[in-house]
Amino acid sequence: MSDSKFEPKIMAFVCNWCTYTGADLAGTSRMKYQSNVRMIRVPCTGRIDPMFIIKAFESGADGVLVSGCHPGDCHYTAGNFHARRRWILFRQLLKFVGIDDDRVFFSWVSASEGKKWVDVINEITDTVRTKGPFVNYQNLNKEFTLNG
Amino acid sequence: MMRIGVFVCHCGENIGKTVDCPKIAKEAVKLPNVVYSIDYKYMCSDPGQNMIKQAILEHKLNAVVVASCSPHMHEKTFRKACAAAGLNPYMCEIANIREHCSWVHDNVEEATKKALDLIRMTVERVKFNYPLSEIRVPVTRRALVIGGGIAGIQATLDIAGAGFKVILVEKEPSIGGHMSQLSETFPTLDCSQCILTPRMVEVYQHPNVKLYTYSEVENVEGFIGNFKVTIRKKARSIKESLCTGCGLCVQKCPIKKAPSEFDEGLANRPAIYVPFPQAVPNIPVIDRTVCTYFKTGKCQLCKKVCGRDAIDYDQKDELVTEDVGAIIVATGYKLYKIDKKARDSLVKGYGEYGYGKYKDVIDGLQFERLASASGPTSGEILRPSDKKQPKKVVFIQCVGSRDPSKGFEYCSKICCMYTAKHAMLYKHKVHDGEAYVFYMDIRAGGKGYEEFVRRAIEEDRVKYIRGRVSRIYEKRGKYIVKGEDTLSGVPVEIEADMVVLATAIVAQPEAPKLAQTLGIPYDKYGFYAEVHPKLRPVESSSGGIFLAGACQSPKDIPESVAMASAAASKALVLFGNEMLEREPIVAKVNENTCVGCFYCKKVCAYNAIELKEIRDKKGNLVKVIASVNTGLCQGCGTCNATCPSKSIELIGFNDEQIYYQIKAL
Amino acid sequence: MADIISIAKSIFENQKAEMIIGYAKATKEGRTRPVVVRTLDEVKELVLNSFCLNNLSTYLTRKENKGKRVAIVAKGCDIKAIVQLIAENQIRRENVYVVGVKCSGVRRGFEGHDSTKIAEKCITCNVKTPHLFDELVEMKGEELPGTDEKAESIVKLEQMTANERFAYWEEQFERCIKCYACRQICPLCYCERCIADKSMPRWIETSPTKRGNFAWNIVRAFHLSGRCIGCNECERVCPAGIPLSLINRKMAKVAKSEFGYESGMDPNAPTLIGTYDVKDKEDFIR
Repeated sequence: MSDSKFEPKIMAFVCNWCTYTGADLAGTSRMKYQSNVRMIRVPCTGRIDPMFIIKAFESGADGVLVSGCHPGDCHYTAGNFHARRRWILFRQLLKFVGIDDDRVFFSWVSASEGKKWVDVINEITDTVRTKGPFVNYQNLNKEFTLNG
Repeated sequence: MMRIGVFVCHCGENIGKTVDCPKIAKEAVKLPNVVYSIDYKYMCSDPGQNMIKQAILEHKLNAVVVASCSPHMHEKTFRKACAAAGLNPYMCEIANIREHCSWVHDNVEEATKKALDLIRMTVERVKFNYPLSEIRVPVTRRALVIGGGIAGIQATLDIAGAGFKVILVEKEPSIGGHMSQLSETFPTLDCSQCILTPRMVEVYQHPNVKLYTYSEVENVEGFIGNFKVTIRKKARSIKESLCTGCGLCVQKCPIKKAPSEFDEGLANRPAIYVPFPQAVPNIPVIDRTVCTYFKTGKCQLCKKVCGRDAIDYDQKDELVTEDVGAIIVATGYKLYKIDKKARDSLVKGYGEYGYGKYKDVIDGLQFERLASASGPTSGEILRPSDKKQPKKVVFIQCVGSRDPSKGFEYCSKICCMYTAKHAMLYKHKVHDGEAYVFYMDIRAGGKGYEEFVRRAIEEDRVKYIRGRVSRIYEKRGKYIVKGEDTLSGVPVEIEADMVVLATAIVAQPEAPKLAQTLGIPYDKYGFYAEVHPKLRPVESSSGGIFLAGACQSPKDIPESVAMASAAASKALVLFGNEMLEREPIVAKVNENTCVGCFYCKKVCAYNAIELKEIRDKKGNLVKVIASVNTGLCQGCGTCNATCPSKSIELIGFNDEQIYYQIKAL
Repeated sequence: MADIISIAKSIFENQKAEMIIGYAKATKEGRTRPVVVRTLDEVKELVLNSFCLNNLSTYLTRKENKGKRVAIVAKGCDIKAIVQLIAENQIRRENVYVVGVKCSGVRRGFEGHDSTKIAEKCITCNVKTPHLFDELVEMKGEELPGTDEKAESIVKLEQMTANERFAYWEEQFERCIKCYACRQICPLCYCERCIADKSMPRWIETSPTKRGNFAWNIVRAFHLSGRCIGCNECERVCPAGIPLSLINRKMAKVAKSEFGYESGMDPNAPTLIGTYDVKDKEDFIR
């Protein structure tokens, strides 16, 4: 599957107040980044369920990004602190079943960090592109397609 | 049966240039349940909105997807348009194909593909939207103003004047802020205190104002219209109700050598002191770090001379709570102290200017105190080192500002004007003196500002040199200022008697902490972030919390005052109604499946989860489950993600909506 | 120390509970089965020996037992589950009468199924004398041999590449038949409607496909992260022989190393999920 034309699908789950707004800022500042990312806006990183990440892979994502406000900046006081603790556990679980840090990414991007958003997206898009399609997970999907 | 309409906006060229809008409109109509789709130049315009309204009626649409700019921009606009056509506004969703697509990608094919993906995902999501209606909550019609500088004073007086109660909290012993320290103000050269002190007194005497000085906001709970604020009244060591402000204690205090904050260290004050003669309230405070009694347990001179027995050494910090409906943050600025090691990694500092090392290298606020009639020199310009009149003064602008390599990237905005003012004041006071100004550019936008600078140059003969200063060093009692005149391209060396640095305006060092207490965003410099830079410049992204003055970015007095009045009017808009309508984005419990593990309660930052007893028909307790107080819930959805059985879901961002959005990837 | 039967008698005689959940002799020798004893006459059924492997605390949250005053025979490991259930508001301390078992280890399986070895969970047990109880009873046991092979397997897995790990688990999970026995036996899977049974939306496919199996097993493990007390019942009952304890123990290891947290020790201690520390490690976040 080392197709040179491979373009990764990146799914991003972002909080409304920081990262989504930071991505808006990247837009208003006309910064450019790779177009592989598809973003889903939720109010807070606290809302981001590990199920979302699983479902993204089931839907064919090659990489998943979870991003929100920096610690202490949460619009809802502590949503990102709870999220962080959840991610610490979930990330280790994913690693243990063979889904490594080059498939799932986490970042803090504030409303003023349009540039950081651009860098994060470019960086993870490159990482996932180099890594190639998430064949492992897509093989799990395959069987499902056969069975309908 | 869902009947969805997709409306694709070109946003002039903004989207249309990189996204093939007609094509995606054609493609969108092929998506399941999409019955109508159209593209238009400006969807947000009247004709654009009318197209949506008409289509809703003509095609019996029960859901709408608008592919346009960020929902932060026009979600409300389009939802309103839908509502006008009889469609529940929450049946309208936005696909952001501008900020997140056309503006950030160059390739038309890629951008078009992405735009279509985003639309498809949004269409799938909107299928699981359902009609919602606003939640109504009562409004506490009292305001809290944090910061008693000119911005806070203005906001306080405006709200109080409209007939509502205001609580003003100031962390220093007196209100007045930086403006009370200034000598004269640009561009009119009217005396700062003469215009400020009447307003300070007005605040003090206003029946609608409750003033807490020497106090800080400790905690804020609640939400727009319903905040509960905890204020820490720091121990003043004076019983405020007994003190008459006679000042005897201040006169008798044996400690005379504590550096005066008000005079920026150019003069001293006692341990028990009133910051300045016109202070409001005119009640002293004991600086416990220098007071002999607090250090050794002996003295008590102030207590002995006080005829009212107002001195209270045992006074403790007191916590008071206040209910308010709106909060105005007006915490102001600080000057960047370049002698101190940079307080964060943002700046490298300017050790080569010798501030802190040379007594006669001072900053702008120190010069204000020298020029002020109430200052340590009674308004005479004298060198701090030997109290001699300086005959040659160099003013350096942009020290720390507009300097990405060593300082801050931003412009501090007011220094061009105050430096011109300083040079002018100097020339007015020292007729045979010479004033030099090193500048990068002169930014004198504002009514009468350019004229003011011209006056300094042309009438008062201030010598402006375009260039930066590389170094200042002392030589035989003079300060050698080495720089460059970039206009003539020659190095410049001036033997100055005094140097005044227009150091950068920086955010209060505690600004991020307060922001976290309030739950409002701030930028990397610590300035508070407005929700929209142009159209909502005085609102923070937290409902009911407004911004005024230099806490948001460097500002001069007229701007701060204007912003304060704007913030006050925003609070008054809120107070215009007894009930407030809130977005219905709150959590909801599935009572059938909740088993009451209360992990939702543990993660809720708003105490919005309450216990509910479920009983059978005979009244026997079946189970205790979670229940949401919709007045307190702010809709973050952390409970939803935490709940293992998904028995609590966030309305508007529920599992189905997100699930199908992901599935459409 | 009194034996289990006289303890049970006195529980009924002194009306300390309406029922006793304990172990009884199974029809076959060398086995035990869970039993609920409700009368003095039935008390004689109770036994306590090294075949008492089951964690009976799973019955505490059954609908028919909820809210009743129940006595339970529980080893230290089982009591960890009880502690966790109290911390998660599923049972009230005052409603459960804990007959804590001083235990020197139970057998890995019943007669003919690894019955000569000590259960792996007993090798690392830190609650041989229970940490929460109303009354103690001693289980007479003999020294059993056995090593903790799973601990080595976890380290081995950790050292593999991501692809190898993925392949390993793909193979393991492939065998899953979605019978949910792991969930039914788990004392901490007390949800009345498991996320796996939620249909709107259907986060986890119901049919035993590779993809659905993967999702289920990850979610099961995640929902137990920071909660699982390591009784290993899920693995014991898994008809497909999936080594679930590897995942469970890995997550317990993470909880310990990242947060110094151990579940099931103190009913009043803050739970791992549901609390946070501003200093939680975030070296993996950009």
